[in-house]
Amino acid sequence: MVLNIRQALVTSAVLAAALGLVATTSISPSWSDEALSLKGKRIGVAVVGTQHFWDREAFNGALDQVKALGGEPVPVDGGRDNQVHADNHDILLANKVDAVISILGDAAVEPKFKALKDAGIPVFTVDHLSPYSINNTTSDNYYMGTTIGRYMADALGGKGKVAVFNAFEGALRICAIRTQMWKYVLQDYPGIKIVQPELAEAFANAPEDARKKTLDLLTQYPKGTLDAIHVGCWDQPAIGVVQALQETGRTEIKVTALDAGPDTLEIMAEKDSPFVANVAQQPRKIGATSAMNVARYFAGQKLMPQTFVDVVPVKGPEEAKKVYEQLGYGKLH
Amino acid sequence: MTSLAQSPLAGVGRLVRAVAPSTPLIVFLAMFAYLGMASSNFLEPSTMALVLKQSVPTVVVCLGLATVVMAGGDDVVVGGIDLSVPATAVLAAAIIADLVSNHAMFIGYALLIGVAAGVVCGLVNAFLVVFFGMTPLLATFASSTAFIGISKVVTASRRINVGDPLIVWLRDGSIFGVPAGVICACLIAAVFYFVLHRTRWGLNLQAVGGSRDAAEMSGLSAARFIAQSFVIAGLVGGVASAFVLARGSGWTPGTEENLMMEMVLATFLGAAFSPRRIVTLWGAVLGAVLVSALSVGFGSVGIDIFWTGCIKGSLILIVVASAALSRKVNA
Repeated sequence: MVLNIRQALVTSAVLAAALGLVATTSISPSWSDEALSLKGKRIGVAVVGTQHFWDREAFNGALDQVKALGGEPVPVDGGRDNQVHADNHDILLANKVDAVISILGDAAVEPKFKALKDAGIPVFTVDHLSPYSINNTTSDNYYMGTTIGRYMADALGGKGKVAVFNAFEGALRICAIRTQMWKYVLQDYPGIKIVQPELAEAFANAPEDARKKTLDLLTQYPKGTLDAIHVGCWDQPAIGVVQALQETGRTEIKVTALDAGPDTLEIMAEKDSPFVANVAQQPRKIGATSAMNVARYFAGQKLMPQTFVDVVPVKGPEEAKKVYEQLGYGKLH
Repeated sequence: MTSLAQSPLAGVGRLVRAVAPSTPLIVFLAMFAYLGMASSNFLEPSTMALVLKQSVPTVVVCLGLATVVMAGGDDVVVGGIDLSVPATAVLAAAIIADLVSNHAMFIGYALLIGVAAGVVCGLVNAFLVVFFGMTPLLATFASSTAFIGISKVVTASRRINVGDPLIVWLRDGSIFGVPAGVICACLIAAVFYFVLHRTRWGLNLQAVGGSRDAAEMSGLSAARFIAQSFVIAGLVGGVASAFVLARGSGWTPGTEENLMMEMVLATFLGAAFSPRRIVTLWGAVLGAVLVSALSVGFGSVGIDIFWTGCIKGSLILIVVASAALSRKVNA
């Protein structure tokens, strides 16, 4: 019995010590992160384009973090052309970089990732799930999709007709998650109907393309027959959608979308803006986190398949102003 | 009194005459020298292999454009030009991708249908230019827009992945270490060389392009050859679709833009390599490889993509202006 008590005490002490150790390691990520380094490493950073705030910020976040960790970034920019973006990975392979951070891109990049992996170059993705990627750093796309679904349903009072721009559900997994989660929420609002066929926005020059398509849509759906326009995966097209609504005086139609960079937050913050809800991402943090993950990988740390960076839901002009300031974009009046 | 021939202006004229045709070459050599120095691996065999591999779709569409220019003459405005070859390739690729991936059609049949669609595009251009007498530049610009519109209707403007083994082989396969796409492009170029340079029909087509009036006087129908050149360009666009699909592992909207810029630059740059400064098949092929080398080189050195577009656009201007200047001083 004494032995048992003693054994129990020893076991408890070992457990407590072990738990303490776990607690110490888990609560001091900054200590372990401080030791991280990419010194002497050449890190390829491929981005699909730099025309849009999100892409540019994720790209610059990764580049700056690679430099901050002592690494040498090798940047390549696809100019908002998925084919050029995919081909740029060949250049990184020929350049014999030590690792690649790849931001966005459609399935054309998959064989390029495989070639990099086969050559022993680890691939880290941003907003692109791939079997060849060590880690994908992204926003919580599931939460983004459901939140924007709820916000839109609230804005419509649970009923109405909504048109959706949804060109990338089949091309990008993150877009599939966001759009399908949005539709999942709408299943519980039988009064909301999605207009068919769904609209397809352009990948490049999206605002102008969406403006023209919205003008056509408004001709097809006269006043009183359309209640909302949603952009399923991002919000650059929403800029053109809002322009078209303002041009035609149809601002009773609510607009919802995802990303909430400073450009679209500014539109949301305007008085009586039809752009009523969004979910803000932190692209710079996403890019930087991916670069940190590269350093963690080289330090031998185990990485989860995905790292999620927090998002901030935005509803109405006042929240838009608040989030604008919160995310460090400045102050809106 | 000093005559004009002895004036300083005449000296400048002579200098322009001597230098103008070689300007594109000088500019290109300077760029390659810079890229070779700025990038440690630009001249390595693996980079050169990459250049060849990435040039394949451009090489193929250039063969189509070169044929049209050879038949219609190399005056960009009133001569032969076909801006719609990339759009034709993208439309045919859309049809093939849709049939293979969305309707489970056998790739062989889908390719045949895609190539047939390319021929129809060529017939449309031939009709617009020969029957309606439209300027080729405008006619093919307009048809290009229409073909892209149809491709978006076919695909609902959404990406279609293609994982068919034949397309994957064109992308990743190799024969004796040489990429399959490069071998196929060489074979197509060889067929073109034979048809245009070793057959009576090909020589007649070139005669029409060289001097339409002289060819008409010797009994050749210029209209027939020009129409046929557009149909061949359409056929080439249809064939190029397979390489477009292979390169992108499927169909993606917007592929035609870069392809068109590279095709125009490559084909007219190729003229700078010909002794007579005219568009030739081999010149176009070489031009396509060099343009691909530039893209890879700029990427390797880390030049901003916006500057890359600006430089390529300026090169098109230099190449076309040099050709126009050469013609002017020779006239």
